[in-house]
Amino acid sequence: MTTPLPPRTPAEVDFPIERTEAEHVTRREFAKFLCLVSGGMAVGSGWVAVKDKIFPPFTFEGERFVCKVDDVAVGATHPFQLEGSKIPFILIRLTDGTFRAYEQKCTHLACAVYYSPDKNKIECPCHHGYFDANTGNVLAGPPPRPLPHLEVVIRGGDVYVREPEEKAS
Amino acid sequence: MNSQRDARNQAHPSKTNTLSLGIICVLVLVITMQVWLLTAALNESLEGDNAVKWPAFLASTLLFLAGAALLRYLPDPIRHARKSSRHSSSINKL
Repeated sequence: MTTPLPPRTPAEVDFPIERTEAEHVTRREFAKFLCLVSGGMAVGSGWVAVKDKIFPPFTFEGERFVCKVDDVAVGATHPFQLEGSKIPFILIRLTDGTFRAYEQKCTHLACAVYYSPDKNKIECPCHHGYFDANTGNVLAGPPPRPLPHLEVVIRGGDVYVREPEEKAS
Repeated sequence: MNSQRDARNQAHPSKTNTLSLGIICVLVLVITMQVWLLTAALNESLEGDNAVKWPAFLASTLLFLAGAALLRYLPDPIRHARKSSRHSSSINKL
């Protein structure tokens, strides 16, 4: 003889859904979730497409003063920012005495890069990415693109930067 | 009509499983392609090449719409119908 089950409480009668059933994800729900992710991807692609129109990238016209030539020793760097922009740049005086100006953010994950005069390379300490100090091109590591650069103009003992010609045109 | 459908369901009891699985596989494939499109568009955009981002957006939107249209063919849940009948009978017993 089997013992009868205890009678259902009023709460169990009113809410007859078990917890395991409530937390169970059906294939139907999973497919809908995948569709939601797909919609998110489409929105993301749309954001990439319109981003430059909503937040146009920083550009400037003419030349901007950075510092005096004598302010930067050979093999040293000088960090600077341009008026109207929060992008950090570094002015590098290479071992051969020439100047280069690069964005200081690594193109991999935007870590701050630094110039290593011994190797004549720009190094990203986060994931050991290396850039050519003369050109900004990627030499090694995970960065996918060269460092954005500015053109350096020396005039009367002053260092100026301007937009590179290919970008300005 | 219904008897024919019942007969078909009895003859192929796993066809809704196959359909659900097929739709999920297609949706996973759609998302994979969208991830690739998004990555490519972002990479090209950051390099300053704007020729890719609009076609990528269009393709991604079309893929999403195709995926959303596929949801229409998801088999209806059987569990709820059975459960509601079971519960109504249990409530009647009480």
